[in-house]
Amino acid sequence: MVHVIKAVFYVGPLLFGLAFLAPLISQVIQAMGWAPPLGLTPLMTGLFFGGTLGVIAQIRGRWV
Amino acid sequence: MSPTQDLSKLSEAELMRMEREIAARHLDKFPYFAVFWAFSNFAIWLALWPLVFMGVMPLWLGFILASVNITLSYLPSHEAQHDIIAKPGTKLRWLNQLVGHVSTIPLVLPYRVAKHTHMEHHKFANDPEKDPDYATHADGPLQAIWRSIYYRQPRAKGGLNAYGDALQRIGRPDIILDGVIFQLIHFGVLFGLAWSGYAIEAALLWWLPRHIALTYIQFYLSWAPHNPSMTKGRYRDTRSFRSILGNIGSLGMQYHIVHHLHPRIPLYRTPKAYWEMKPILEARGCDVHGL
Repeated sequence: MVHVIKAVFYVGPLLFGLAFLAPLISQVIQAMGWAPPLGLTPLMTGLFFGGTLGVIAQIRGRWV
Repeated sequence: MSPTQDLSKLSEAELMRMEREIAARHLDKFPYFAVFWAFSNFAIWLALWPLVFMGVMPLWLGFILASVNITLSYLPSHEAQHDIIAKPGTKLRWLNQLVGHVSTIPLVLPYRVAKHTHMEHHKFANDPEKDPDYATHADGPLQAIWRSIYYRQPRAKGGLNAYGDALQRIGRPDIILDGVIFQLIHFGVLFGLAWSGYAIEAALLWWLPRHIALTYIQFYLSWAPHNPSMTKGRYRDTRSFRSILGNIGSLGMQYHIVHHLHPRIPLYRTPKAYWEMKPILEARGCDVHGL
């Protein structure tokens, strides 16, 4: 159990990017009425940017 | 005693006797307002969720109120951490513990983590190795704000991330579990809301207000009273200061020196105790020039 919790916290930034930032970006796009480029849906755009930010934060160990 | 009276000729024992006499007048006062504050503040923060979700309150207003609520959530717990509401073994001890546990829920800071690390801060204030709040030390206000944010990053070695090390050091690693559970619930709620279509609400009622609150609290509770150039020692590790936002805007921290000398004096009594004690503090060479 401890190993599972440690693993979850270790990938915290990636998880946060995909599980929170992705839907957040998606819902902001929808709320603002923006149309994502290249035929992407708001959720796909959110997953792309949220995932990318999460990966960067995961590697750097920090968001800012 | 006049606030400008010169006591520098008095002996150490005489100064201590006078200081204790003043402190005794402010101890064991029941902080009614802190108890009311703890529960009303928490209730208001909880109420923001249905009010915003049902469209009764605009999200921008919910965001402002949530930021204020979460910023105000720490201080009632702080009173409980010092057993100011009720000492162990007394009739109202349950209330002390309830206030401690409930008030910092929006801040995602478990009571036992807050209490044990805060006691370490009191024991070792400004010690780079042992003060769990030492990471907020900075040369100026902007650097202090930046450090507060920086040390909240996933792999930073200070700030709240240092609390686990402090708990290990004092032989209470079991309390780290409280923090883990709080974090899992916090992120579980955020993720659940986000994937249910309420990501913006979750971000503006909890995630962002919590970060604003942590920055504000660390600025006024850790940085401002202990910086700049404060050292170690009972009469050297903190000071009084004048905040541009006043005593309320600085979360009552202008008179923080009284709190470190006599931690069981309720927050609302520290200004009065300070003005009574000021000549003694000056005689001891404390940094009380700000007020």
